[in-house]
Amino acid sequence: MNVEYINPFISSTVKALTTMCSLKPERGRPYLRSASTPTKSDISGTIGVAGEATGSVTVNFPQEVAIKMVENMLGIQVDEINEDVKDAVGEIANMVAGGAKGELAEKGYGFKIALPVVCVGKSHYTAYPKDVPCVVIPFTLPEGEFTVEIALKINGK
Amino acid sequence: MKVIVIDDSSTMRRIIKNTLNRLGFNDIIEAEHGLDALTKLDGVDLIFTDWNMPEMDGLTFVKSVRGSNSYKNIPIIMVTTEAAKDDIVEAIKSGVNNYVVKPFTPEILKSKIDSVLSTL
Repeated sequence: MNVEYINPFISSTVKALTTMCSLKPERGRPYLRSASTPTKSDISGTIGVAGEATGSVTVNFPQEVAIKMVENMLGIQVDEINEDVKDAVGEIANMVAGGAKGELAEKGYGFKIALPVVCVGKSHYTAYPKDVPCVVIPFTLPEGEFTVEIALKINGK
Repeated sequence: MKVIVIDDSSTMRRIIKNTLNRLGFNDIIEAEHGLDALTKLDGVDLIFTDWNMPEMDGLTFVKSVRGSNSYKNIPIIMVTTEAAKDDIVEAIKSGVNNYVVKPFTPEILKSKIDSVLSTL
């Protein structure tokens, strides 16, 4: 596993949640996702990327974590996944991919990012092309566990 | 001072608006993208714009403003996730006065506003 392109996503995730949501996620050990054990979540935000790195970056949240995040971000009370939660998850995905983009550009992996796509559904998962490896970074908060999935091909490898 | 906050994310518009309110700005309007904002610039004194937006992105919007006779002198602060050095250079070349990378703290936003206003 090439940590050179994984580490920027770890730091951008921690920075996004710490700065915007006053939450301090503990990160677990990254692993390669297998097709038979997809990462399930209640709401996810995906950003497509294209350039020297091509593929997508997805943040996956259980409902409890997504709600806590938005409550802290906006200072409001939230009872369910509503428009505010969907919008905020898209923006967090944006910050995770955009933040890593800056670091990766300095390492020579330049790419452009697309607008976020948010999916909602109990225990849904994202399917990726078979030839693209997907690295999962797990994070833990008191409200539950969430993951960031990096499904990228670097320099056509 | 009238301020416009342009971002396709309602969450981000609300966060920027809340921060501006705390800093004493009360006359704040919103737009969802550059095209929407171009119709709302009358009387605006300060612009906050995102980069990646549908319809018209922030960079195209900045170029339109700088090319307009009526609005070309309005200071613009770009607030974006685009954190690569080349992106920042491109934005400044297009006419942005200052640049805030998301995620940001209220202190960072304040320092950028102070920096822009001190040059007026």
